[in-house]
Amino acid sequence: MILHTLNRSPLESTVYRQALRALAEDDKLLLIEDGVLGALPAQQALWSSLPGRLLALAEDLEARGLSEHCATGIEVIDVDGFVRLTEEADKVVSWY
Amino acid sequence: MRYAILLLGAPYSHQAAHSALRFARAVIARGHHLEAVFFYRDGVHNAARLASPPQDEPHLVDGWTTLNQEHGVRLEVCIAAALRRGIVDADEAARHGKQGHSVQAPFELTGLGQLVDLGLECDRLVTFGA
Repeated sequence: MILHTLNRSPLESTVYRQALRALAEDDKLLLIEDGVLGALPAQQALWSSLPGRLLALAEDLEARGLSEHCATGIEVIDVDGFVRLTEEADKVVSWY
Repeated sequence: MRYAILLLGAPYSHQAAHSALRFARAVIARGHHLEAVFFYRDGVHNAARLASPPQDEPHLVDGWTTLNQEHGVRLEVCIAAALRRGIVDADEAARHGKQGHSVQAPFELTGLGQLVDLGLECDRLVTFGA
């Protein structure tokens, strides 16, 4: 499994499309920084190919006042969980 | 596990530097060994020794320095990216005939080959881009 991180909002950057193209079947995508804007319910159609493999960073949701606005089906993890994911993954690819 | 971090973002321009520092602390808190943070592209501005943010804001330069002092994390700054941005240590300042310098230990100016070595030697290399 490769862990991918995305730190740009899908509303401001199309780099998420490159990330989606690069994601293999068992890879996971973690939304961080402005990427957590992609966790809003209005953006969920973008991630239809990633059931159960989309995560968002709790601290960055909290910093933007979005903790209560995260779509269902997205796993919210804190930075400790982020590190744990990097342990499980073979490598980490960052999209920015 | 042995970790390394690649940081590409300048402080205050992007969140990358804050994210990287937060991740660095979490890596250490989980009992891993953080070998080095490599500062590249605009990330070299994290090494500016004269940085003086308001006292009620996080001080990134001090944050990196503390990581070095308390956990031995090497702070490696790409020399080519640094020199063109005016990020120079005393030796380079003298070499280029400049007065004053903007980098001091524990930050060290080093080559891109060090980043390749980190990628080869560490179990995980995590990039914080901007």
